[in-house]
Amino acid sequence: MIYQGNGVSKGIAIGEIYLYEAFIPHVEEAYYDGGEPQCHLERYDRLCAAADKELKEICERLTASDPEKADIFTAHRDILFDEDITEELRDGILYDHMTPEWAIETIFSKYMRRLQKAKDQMIRERAADVNDVKNRLLRIACGLTEQNISSLEKPVIIAAHDLLPSDTATMDRKNVLGILTEVGGETSHSAIIAKSYGIPAILGIAGLMEKVKKGERVILDAVDGKLITYPDAAQETEYLAKKESYAVYQNQVKEYLDKEPLTADGERISIGLNIGSVSPQELEGARYTDFAGLFRSEFLYMESDHLPTEEEQMVQYKKALLEYAPRPVVLRTLDIGGDKTLSYLTLPKEENPFLGKRALRLCFDQPQVFRTQLRAALRASVYGNLWIMLPMVGSLEDIHKAIFEEVKEELDRENIPYAPQVKLGIMIEIPAVAMIADLVAKEIDFASIGTNDLCQYLTATDRMNPAVTEYYQSYHPSMFRLIGYAARQFEQAGKPLSVCGELGGDPLAAPVLVGLGIRKLSMNIGSVPIVKRALSRLTLPQMEAIAQQVQNISAGETAAYLKESFAD
Amino acid sequence: MYSRKTTVINRTGLHARPASQFIDAAKKFTSRIHIRNLSLEEEDNLANAKSIISVLTLAMVQGSEIEIIAEGDDEKEAVDSLIALVDSGFGE
Repeated sequence: MIYQGNGVSKGIAIGEIYLYEAFIPHVEEAYYDGGEPQCHLERYDRLCAAADKELKEICERLTASDPEKADIFTAHRDILFDEDITEELRDGILYDHMTPEWAIETIFSKYMRRLQKAKDQMIRERAADVNDVKNRLLRIACGLTEQNISSLEKPVIIAAHDLLPSDTATMDRKNVLGILTEVGGETSHSAIIAKSYGIPAILGIAGLMEKVKKGERVILDAVDGKLITYPDAAQETEYLAKKESYAVYQNQVKEYLDKEPLTADGERISIGLNIGSVSPQELEGARYTDFAGLFRSEFLYMESDHLPTEEEQMVQYKKALLEYAPRPVVLRTLDIGGDKTLSYLTLPKEENPFLGKRALRLCFDQPQVFRTQLRAALRASVYGNLWIMLPMVGSLEDIHKAIFEEVKEELDRENIPYAPQVKLGIMIEIPAVAMIADLVAKEIDFASIGTNDLCQYLTATDRMNPAVTEYYQSYHPSMFRLIGYAARQFEQAGKPLSVCGELGGDPLAAPVLVGLGIRKLSMNIGSVPIVKRALSRLTLPQMEAIAQQVQNISAGETAAYLKESFAD
Repeated sequence: MYSRKTTVINRTGLHARPASQFIDAAKKFTSRIHIRNLSLEEEDNLANAKSIISVLTLAMVQGSEIEIIAEGDDEKEAVDSLIALVDSGFGE
């Protein structure tokens, strides 16, 4: 049988199924009315001893192979025997006559809530550990043995309804050949983990858990999003070959990660990195890129439970600037509204949020929010090469209204230093501003084309509405014509223009963009090697010819034409 | 009862490995030992120094002012050695 799913992390795996059904405890409020309290207490002690034995075994197994993971389970043992928790539990059992299960459920949950209230994220994350210990005790109380992907006996393909952070954090990576789940999409936790570990994964296979059995041999083809059960000998041979050729391809791609981005005839293209936070993992990409072409500042606002202060923002911006210095970091100011909301900032409901008061328009409405961000950015500018970019600019007035100079004067008055050469630029994502690229280029230092929104506005297609997906044509000839027009205007003005939307990271579209005159492309780290490789295979005149062609054919034809032009 | 104050100097603060080290050290004494985070604005700033979860909840970071209070046979020894441990920066 062949089942279709979403191949979120590309690759091919052949192996045995490991059915992973996470234990979900169901504990009801219960008090014992017979028996000595001491007996119930002894039962609790036996549960603890059994849990401790499991934890000790896991620790011993992991100490040699993965000492960092062993530490997590050592911490679980500390929680299991925590003095305060234990004391409350014993009191609950002895004096309130709670059943051990109910005492475990209530008291561990209480401590979880306390941890979750902490301001510090590191402490909040410990709540997951308390939860894991609680579930371990309750599972043992049900007489169930442990289902565990943290130490697997042999390489397997994991099949699960879903994988939670606590499952994947401790996952025995080297023994996981592939991942299959019933739920989850491109941006789900399972997808992100699978991609970052390079484990082939297909998510969203409906009814998966009834379709596969423990120990059954399957083929997981995440390149085409196919799960093949009961494969015959011919399929096995076919997929072994496919797996090998895919591994060769992946190695080729990997080799391109730290190569210089050159076209086949030696034109140097600038490759930027899109970042959504300043975690060490994200900033790792600085080694392979020429600049940070899109630093989405929203993460600061979305991960916080309050408006981030000037100081909080400054610290984060500084990290990115230091990492890239002297190369530029393009900081996009707050882009909220549309599909992104903040819990602590109530915004009026709008009929058409994508056409409403979002991004810069919202900042004009909330000048204090905007001012705080600009101040933080300017203060951080002394640590590197800062370019500030305004999203959702639709007119020349929008540029004039941005209080950039005003904030600089404010800092001057307060004798707060900032770098004098900070550049100010805009996102080109509203067609109205793309069409006056010549006028715009005179007023700002640089611009970057956000192709996702540009396409949504140009084709009048809500990109969040699945019913109109087919109308969202990013290869629409008008997209290429408009980008080509903007590229010419910026070239004439001698100002840099980049592309930081999805098209820039698309290996089929990237050569077209270069053919249209774009010399700076910014993308997610995953696209960097693929795009570098795509660019290296064509000469500039070839790209220009392709760019001419796609401005005069339909989007559907373009997709077929590009695939053919770039066939390996 | 015996108590002393100090400031957390290590980068991690009393989280992760330093927290575990602290608890293990506290458990070596028979006295009841409490730790107070004087930099915390909330009223509930006191925790059992032998409970890892309670200590974590106090969110003691680099620069937090803390007080260690003990009561029992080895109270002085307990407080002095725990203060010394915090002042050592946990080897960071």
